Amino acid sequence: MYGRKGSQLVRELASGEAGQLTSFNNDLFDQVVRECNEHKLQLTSLFEKIKHDGLDIERTRNADHFGAVIHHLSLIRNKRCLMSYMYNRAEMIRSLRWKAGRVLPVEIQGKMTHSEEEYFKKHSAALESYMSAMDIDLTVDMVPPKDPYIQVRVIDDIGEVLLGDQVISLVRNSVHSLKRSDAEPLISQGLMEEFLG
Amino acid sequence: MASGSEDTFWTQDPEVAASTDVELLKRAWRNEKASPEILRFEEPLVERVREQIELLEQTVEELRAEGKDELMISLYQMDLDRTLYLLRSYLRIRLQKIEKYTIHISKTDLWGRLSSQEQAFAQRCIIIMKEHLEQSVLGKLPDGYKDVLKQSLASEDDDMVPEPPLDTFVFCKSRGDLGPFQLDDSVYYMIVHRCKNDYRLVQKHMEDGSWALVMLLIP
Repeated sequence: MYGRKGSQLVRELASGEAGQLTSFNNDLFDQVVRECNEHKLQLTSLFEKIKHDGLDIERTRNADHFGAVIHHLSLIRNKRCLMSYMYNRAEMIRSLRWKAGRVLPVEIQGKMTHSEEEYFKKHSAALESYMSAMDIDLTVDMVPPKDPYIQVRVIDDIGEVLLGDQVISLVRNSVHSLKRSDAEPLISQGLMEEFLG
Repeated sequence: MASGSEDTFWTQDPEVAASTDVELLKRAWRNEKASPEILRFEEPLVERVREQIELLEQTVEELRAEGKDELMISLYQMDLDRTLYLLRSYLRIRLQKIEKYTIHISKTDLWGRLSSQEQAFAQRCIIIMKEHLEQSVLGKLPDGYKDVLKQSLASEDDDMVPEPPLDTFVFCKSRGDLGPFQLDDSVYYMIVHRCKNDYRLVQKHMEDGSWALVMLLIP
């Protein structure tokens, strides 16, 4: 049935966890694209037939014409499904930039196509150029601050880090009291966590 | 209508008497958060707030150097952090709206509401998105269906542009007594009152600043 694969693609998007990028379904995607091209072939051949029968393309309303219309409508429906699949994935990728920072974890990279990785890099660059034009870092301070200082526990061995004007040695499992804006990027990368209690 | 005690409560409401730049920023931030479409960029306000932030930073540095009372320093620091958060969040929300509705903004007069840096960012977003879609989808589709904005050559307008939903519900509050007024067939009385409305109807009042959005309620 026409459009079934397209809607399957979209349903896959909708059934995934909100905001979670799933693996790019190459097979299904290619199948839908192939369907589109087939529709186009059918469409063209039906138009040829109308011309061949000596009828006016613009005004004829016979079975061939309506057949062509159905192919056309299925085609644009498939196009919409494909675009929506790519577009929504792009939206999730953009939100990853805000949540996970510049460098994506390897598992997520594995789920993206090459084009999506390129998109992520270029978008990241555009954001950074905006932030430097405005001279303000927008990726810190994602939640309203309760306290200027925050207690953190180090998860991975980071070593010596320059924070503010002090060099702090961030050894695994050590607890430090850091300025919120210094700690945030390290927390979002998963190298530290907030120490409560 | 409310009794005397409620009236005095509202007139003491600091929102109504907002005059400091931070209060104005807070209002702009709240409006931006609740509104489905992007609002006008408050350039002079943002400039002033940045100057104040710099001043505060200098003050904190000086206090630290003088070895003053820790409590006082941390109070100034809190104030600084909170203002910085407001500014960052304001710019972030706008940026996220731009990311989402770039093409729509670039084709309507919403473009005029962006700052020049935001416009540069939006231009890049459009280019990047078009390249990405062309490379992964449109290049593979048959001729006549390759356009990114139109479904096919047969389409008259650009029918593939996502638009912000203008019929979401919002809560609004007026700054002062507006007397009776009309909003789409019903007559409302607003005396610093909160009411629930379709955003589109409220749009006009948002522009002239006589109302402020309070919350967004998604149906």
